[in-house]
Amino acid sequence: MAALLDPPLLRRLEALALQVRRAVSGRMGGERRSNARGRSVEFADFRNYTPGDDFRLIDWNAYARLDRYMLRLFVAEQELPLSIFVDLSGSMDWGNPNKAATAKRLAGAIAYVALAALDRVRLTVFAVGPTSGGAPYRGRRAVAELFSRLQSFPVGGATDYARLVWPIGKQRPGMTVLISDGLGETSIDTAIAALGRARQEGAILQLLAPQEIAPDWTGDARLRDSETGVEREFTSTPLTKGAYLEALAHRGQEIERSAHRHGLRYAQLSTDQPIEDMVLRSLRRLGLLS
Amino acid sequence: MSFLVPGAAFLALTLPAIIALYFLRIRRPTRIVPALNLWPHQIRDRQANVPWQRLRFSWLLLLQLLGAAILVAAAVQPALSAGTSLARHSVVLLDVSASMQARDVAPSRLDEAKGQIGGLIDQMGSQDRMTLIAVGSTPRIVASVAGDRQALHRALGQVSATNGQADLSAALTLAAGLVRPGDDARAYFFGDGIVGPLRTDSSNGLPFPAEYHRVGVSGENVGLTSLVVRTGAQSRAGYLHLQNFGQQSRSFSLEWRADGRLVDVRPLTLAGGQAEDLVLPVPADATLVSAHVATSDVFALDDTVTAIARAPRQFRVLLVTPGNVFLEQALRLRADIQLDVVAPADYKTSAPYAMSIFDRFSPHALPDGPFIALDPPAGTSLAGGPAIGIGRTRATDAGDPLLTNVDLRDVHIARSQDLRSSAFGRPLITSLQTPLVLVRDEPFRQALFGFDLHESDLPLRIAFPILVENLSEWMLPPSVPSHSFHPDEPVTIVPETGATAVTVIRPDNSRRPLASNAIATFGDTDLTGLYTVEQVVAGNVDKSWFTVNLFSEQISQLKPAERLTLPPVNTAATVHALHRGQLEIWPWIALIALVIVVIEWLAFHRGL
Repeated sequence: MAALLDPPLLRRLEALALQVRRAVSGRMGGERRSNARGRSVEFADFRNYTPGDDFRLIDWNAYARLDRYMLRLFVAEQELPLSIFVDLSGSMDWGNPNKAATAKRLAGAIAYVALAALDRVRLTVFAVGPTSGGAPYRGRRAVAELFSRLQSFPVGGATDYARLVWPIGKQRPGMTVLISDGLGETSIDTAIAALGRARQEGAILQLLAPQEIAPDWTGDARLRDSETGVEREFTSTPLTKGAYLEALAHRGQEIERSAHRHGLRYAQLSTDQPIEDMVLRSLRRLGLLS
Repeated sequence: MSFLVPGAAFLALTLPAIIALYFLRIRRPTRIVPALNLWPHQIRDRQANVPWQRLRFSWLLLLQLLGAAILVAAAVQPALSAGTSLARHSVVLLDVSASMQARDVAPSRLDEAKGQIGGLIDQMGSQDRMTLIAVGSTPRIVASVAGDRQALHRALGQVSATNGQADLSAALTLAAGLVRPGDDARAYFFGDGIVGPLRTDSSNGLPFPAEYHRVGVSGENVGLTSLVVRTGAQSRAGYLHLQNFGQQSRSFSLEWRADGRLVDVRPLTLAGGQAEDLVLPVPADATLVSAHVATSDVFALDDTVTAIARAPRQFRVLLVTPGNVFLEQALRLRADIQLDVVAPADYKTSAPYAMSIFDRFSPHALPDGPFIALDPPAGTSLAGGPAIGIGRTRATDAGDPLLTNVDLRDVHIARSQDLRSSAFGRPLITSLQTPLVLVRDEPFRQALFGFDLHESDLPLRIAFPILVENLSEWMLPPSVPSHSFHPDEPVTIVPETGATAVTVIRPDNSRRPLASNAIATFGDTDLTGLYTVEQVVAGNVDKSWFTVNLFSEQISQLKPAERLTLPPVNTAATVHALHRGQLEIWPWIALIALVIVVIEWLAFHRGL
């Protein structure tokens, strides 16, 4: 745990909470206002008593007035189901600071915020295909296990966003954070669209290394794709570097447009940004944390 | 066009080498990128996946070939034929005299001449040599038989103008000594032609032809050419001579100062060529007077003059004689001599005198100082042999400074002591029979006359007071002469008796120590203005002054000579045919190559 995030940072993260824009529906009680009726102090509605209901919820005042058993329904405060998808493909194993390592730390930080608020966290890493991070984690006691699991995942392989559609689609409505560089051979749009269909709110966090945001080399080179291993000869000049930067910016704009179209937030983060800064500043500005 | 380094053409091999590089496949470092599909398909034509490829058109290749070709062209150092004809050994004589400070050509005549010489240096071929001589009052070799143009330019840049006069004869003699017989040499004199008269030894001919390159255009100048202070019976006055050497009338003001204080300002107008003498008042307590004309002419060196106004120091002189009116009168002609005349019986040895004259008398102990002994009595230490009859007299050496202006042709002497065996000193005036006047420098300046003045007609001749004046000035030179000197003129300074330190302070306040125990010749008089001589005598600082002024009508006239008659080539010299100077253009070609390389670099980085 200590290797992933520092204790001082964890203490600061405890003051944060995931910010949802609509009510959540979890299976267990939590600190989130849900669509379900449950135990809380916030009145929601009345309904007729049917056998099997908890007789403790009968409104005896209403019985006295109406001579019918009525149940007082309250807004149930439920857990927030948070799904975190972390891209650990070959393209993420690049840059200084390393994108995959930063993605793990970022995912760990967001998960810690959720676990501290008794939210349920489901972790999925993906490259060629999705790999579940195990049963959903809940409560602070699960933090160590989640961090340990997060660190144990290997990095490598090509990205196939299309294979995320099925695990996303089986999720109940909730919050999803997808951390990726968005640079796979296939388009990330399919995964974003699947999130929209699954009524997920959350964010697409595009994580890039500073060396790919501003390449610092010129001249002749043999370029090798980190995921596919395909090579191509190339001459870096101000002209070609400009074309690359334009393509990178275009890719980011595409992801942002797609995310907004499906009600998701989008942020582009650089790995040279300290993790504290990412979480405490960028994600709060994004509205993901409060 | 010719090529100075044709061998450098082998560098043209770089052209096929560049083309070969385009044929060859280059080795590229492998770079792993996260997503190859973001990188454009941008690759140069010269990059191929095979060891050899077909040569295709490329702007970079074209620019590189062009740059290399131009660099090769610069390396062979092409040179164009210049307009100037040069000898293999050019002896350049640069006038650095005072008149070259004139600013009738911008920025000055000297700079103009240096510019012309710089052009000559640039046209030197690889085999050409140049000797550069600065022609001042003493010619100075600035660069000797040098072929390195950069070194010549540096040496030329360090030449500065002096305040003296140009001695072209000495410079030509010096140049002739630097040229070996049979050398293909030629002399070029760059100046305004205001030089001292050529000496006869120069007219014998030079071992090389010489050309005069005139520098300067105008002679418009107002100059002060004389200032002396005369002390009259009642007062002192400064006599100033000034002249407009130009052709145009000029109005200006004259400032007259005493010890730096303004005494008088006079507006003056002088027509072209007009001269004027002014008598200006000198305050009684003044030490130094100066005159300055505030004109905007092209020559400033003669606009300010200074003069010493203080009366010279008096010398006490003793004349011991039974009676000699001739001698007495001749000695009193010198204003700075205070003469005491005593009879031989009244002579006392202890009295301090700067000079003693013993007429027909000889003391028991001769004084330790200058003296003149005339017809010493027989039996004394200075007496010569028995008197012998003398006829005509003559000078032992007509060029002796002690006999300057002394005409001995009509001088007759009846009889004189026989001084042939005297060991007193060298003979100054002699006769067929015996030396008549002996002089010596050691231990003091002293003279011995073998005859009684009354037994000759010398006192009746004009030569007598002149001879006495010459001898007394020789024996009693003023410690520091108070008159004006010309720039670079040596000044004789005789330290005061007992002086422990002698220092000359120049007009720029630099100090030059001199020996305090011997007569010194001070030669650092290149600056015009006031020179102060400080002598420490018995712990006291005694100050005296002399001045250095241009005072040269020849220089102030300033008009450059249209023609200068230079000595001809002597018959023994071989005159070689001249060759054209070369104007090297390779620096410009190299500059073009540099521009091409920069364009190629920019093109490369723009991905052309």
